[in-house]
Amino acid sequence: MIFRDNPVLSRELLVNLRSPRAFVLQLLYVSFLGLMVYFAWPAGAAGAKQVSAGAATRLFDLFFLGQFFLVALVAPTFASGSITGEKERKTYEMLLASPLDPSRILVGKLLSSLTYLVILIISTLPLMILCFLLGGILLSEIGRAYLLLILAAGTFGLLSIACSSYFRRTSSALVVSYLIILPLAVACIWITRTDNMLFRDFVSMSVLPPWCLAIWTVLVILINRRLLRPPDVGSEGRDVVDEDQEMKYAIGVVIDRDLFPDKLFAPAKRLELMPDGTNPVLDKELRSEIFSQGTLMLRVVIQVSMLLSIPLMAALLFLKPQNSGYYVCYVLTFNMLVGPVFSSGSITQERERQTLALLLTTLLTPGRIIIAKLAAALRVSTVLTLLLCEQLLLAYGLIQELRDRFWFLFVYLAIILMTCLVTTTIGLMCSSLSRKTSVAMVMTYLVLLVLFAGPVGLVRFLEGFTNIREDRLAALTITSPFSAALSVPAYRAPFTLAATSAATNPSMLPPPDPNWIQLPFTNGWSVPVWLVFLAIYPPLCLGFFGITYVAFWLRWWKAGGSA
Amino acid sequence: MIEVIHFTKRYGDFIAVDDLNLSIGRGEVFGFIGPNGAGKSTTIRFLATLLRPTSGEGRVAGHSVVTDPMAVRRVIGFMPDDFGVYDGMKVWEFLDFFAVAYEIPRVQRKQIIGQVLELLDLTHKRDDYVNGLSKGMKQRLCLAKTLVHDPPVLILDEPASGLDPRARLEMKALLNELRGMGKTILVSSHILSELADFCTSIGIIERGKLLASGSIQEIQKRLRSHRVLRVRVLEAPERAAELLRAEEGIRSVEHYDHTITAEFEGEDADLSRLLNLLIGAGVGVLSFSEEPLSLEEAFMMITKGIVN
Repeated sequence: MIFRDNPVLSRELLVNLRSPRAFVLQLLYVSFLGLMVYFAWPAGAAGAKQVSAGAATRLFDLFFLGQFFLVALVAPTFASGSITGEKERKTYEMLLASPLDPSRILVGKLLSSLTYLVILIISTLPLMILCFLLGGILLSEIGRAYLLLILAAGTFGLLSIACSSYFRRTSSALVVSYLIILPLAVACIWITRTDNMLFRDFVSMSVLPPWCLAIWTVLVILINRRLLRPPDVGSEGRDVVDEDQEMKYAIGVVIDRDLFPDKLFAPAKRLELMPDGTNPVLDKELRSEIFSQGTLMLRVVIQVSMLLSIPLMAALLFLKPQNSGYYVCYVLTFNMLVGPVFSSGSITQERERQTLALLLTTLLTPGRIIIAKLAAALRVSTVLTLLLCEQLLLAYGLIQELRDRFWFLFVYLAIILMTCLVTTTIGLMCSSLSRKTSVAMVMTYLVLLVLFAGPVGLVRFLEGFTNIREDRLAALTITSPFSAALSVPAYRAPFTLAATSAATNPSMLPPPDPNWIQLPFTNGWSVPVWLVFLAIYPPLCLGFFGITYVAFWLRWWKAGGSA
Repeated sequence: MIEVIHFTKRYGDFIAVDDLNLSIGRGEVFGFIGPNGAGKSTTIRFLATLLRPTSGEGRVAGHSVVTDPMAVRRVIGFMPDDFGVYDGMKVWEFLDFFAVAYEIPRVQRKQIIGQVLELLDLTHKRDDYVNGLSKGMKQRLCLAKTLVHDPPVLILDEPASGLDPRARLEMKALLNELRGMGKTILVSSHILSELADFCTSIGIIERGKLLASGSIQEIQKRLRSHRVLRVRVLEAPERAAELLRAEEGIRSVEHYDHTITAEFEGEDADLSRLLNLLIGAGVGVLSFSEEPLSLEEAFMMITKGIVN
């Protein structure tokens, strides 16, 4: 009876799947993957090319990775709002007071969150089978890939529901889910892509499934207990948070607003009236709003990101300093996941909490409101991100090869700061364009994915199936901070004989550098990817800010929308 | 002080407010009455500069709501029907936030915040978190927020909705106090008896149309066709009822024990004639009075319960 006649499941499926949007999205998704196969199909239009097993494997890898990322990104978006959404809509207490037992609620929420995702994954099976027809892939590999995808969807979905049951806001649940899922997803990818086939098969068929089942069991017990005796019910689940009390019982990191660096992102509460000329919205955002739901989310974010940074620092900065760019990529990923949380809800939450009408009938101009929101979100996101840069500074202090080119540290920092600005402005833009925080967040992640990760995937695809020169392909990646960070030649390789012979032998033409872009109409002038990245985003951010301003002005401020 | 001129608001085919005209003088307390979905909140939000009209104009203290919303915001204090508060803020911080937003200099702010807290009896809650306050306290806090910049016009949308009887009475006393301070108040409510006590005039709206507006006495006068007579007689109530039934202008007559209730259409002179008739008949008239038309009855008669 847990599955059949489950009202939670029926309601959620009805709401989610009856809209034409679900089918349009599926059509777009399958068409996009279909187009990829079409362009990569070795026979081509002329039928002249040879069918290559390598191409099939490459395509299959790309499919698997793409779908895996899709699961890692989409499962939390659907699942982390499943219980917090009830709390936000104030239907949580009604649901808990019904005769439904927690396990039925949980199953309903889990299946409804993942059904659409599983439908998306399964609908790509025919395309995978097409790759199988090319040869070079075993049927068992396809089976293994789908098994992994389903296991990942279940684990990530349950983890997100667990977060959803512990937090009060979807945004907090979503960001913590992402942070917990990030290392799991990276580990999973690493295991399944190792060259040792025996190890790979053994781990994915014999180790991962029982481990996943164990994790599922623990999570189900935790969520059931939380739903059975929820401590966050009462006063509509929005009790006043006592910071001192929280600090007393906090495990691990404690946030103290009076101490450095905590006071950088959360200045202490005022004891006196605001001085004249203060922007009240900025003051409110930084001193009151940031911890209005407690410090749990920020503490988890800081602890998880710091914990992850330790092995990454060891591996990428100290053992293999030539990979320092990858550590920067980790910092950028952190910002990409965490940054939007502080900006994408800043306007929509005013509407959801019904404070927008109060704000709009004051003498505050839209410009002051928007700038305050941007400055507050940017400050919190940047300080949290820069906390992870301590490790980078340490590496530059201790490692000679990095210190030799110490000025590239500033390039890294500039890329990180620019990314903070981009994630915040895009978050704010989506917040002014949406009516709901959950929609604004998903929209922000989608835009960031298209700008940041999309170009990397596209270049990988084109590298494998076209003959376009690497420096030309690099021009496609200028919007991605990951490409920018990896294009920085921060590491000076120790002197080797091979390098000198290549430099002294004029007959050997150097291959085109994938990190440099040839500028058009300049007679062969080239610029590095990171420089283009740093140059294009300031005007783009100004554009995003302009859209935010106009949208806010038109929809809310200029007597245009009813809040 | 407040003028609404041919205000119309359409959402697609749906007409929320249709060609509404309204005029409220300085120092008046105007009660806006109407069933749910009648267009009260739409009109109020329009006057509070939160809604663009499809057509028409609105003026508050001489400033256009459409072309000069900033000037309007300076002179109004607006309290929406459903509002939230910022989490993690204390009561004094909440008021300081709005005082700064209304550009009140710091030297005056301390005194003003103290005054409004005292006026609304919130001084003991000064250091409490706003999200921990009860519904009644939040309503008062929101009213306190609307007063920080001392606006001459108050626009209050259902200020007493969701309050318990005691909080309701306290809110009524507060509004009376504000009326005493000479503020022009536009207040909407479902609870008609609440408005009857202290409103100088009312407007009844239904399905986006203003059906009646003016002082309560004026509206009662307009409903003369539905006057209700109550007569107590010492003896022969049946005969008295018979006599009344035979008269022109009497619609229905009911009697219970020695009391007769009759619905009547006519002028004061007709009433006097009826009294003389009963006295002449020797039924021993103990009392002869016209039932005052309650606001509820007026409302029910005017709106005919079209909108639920």
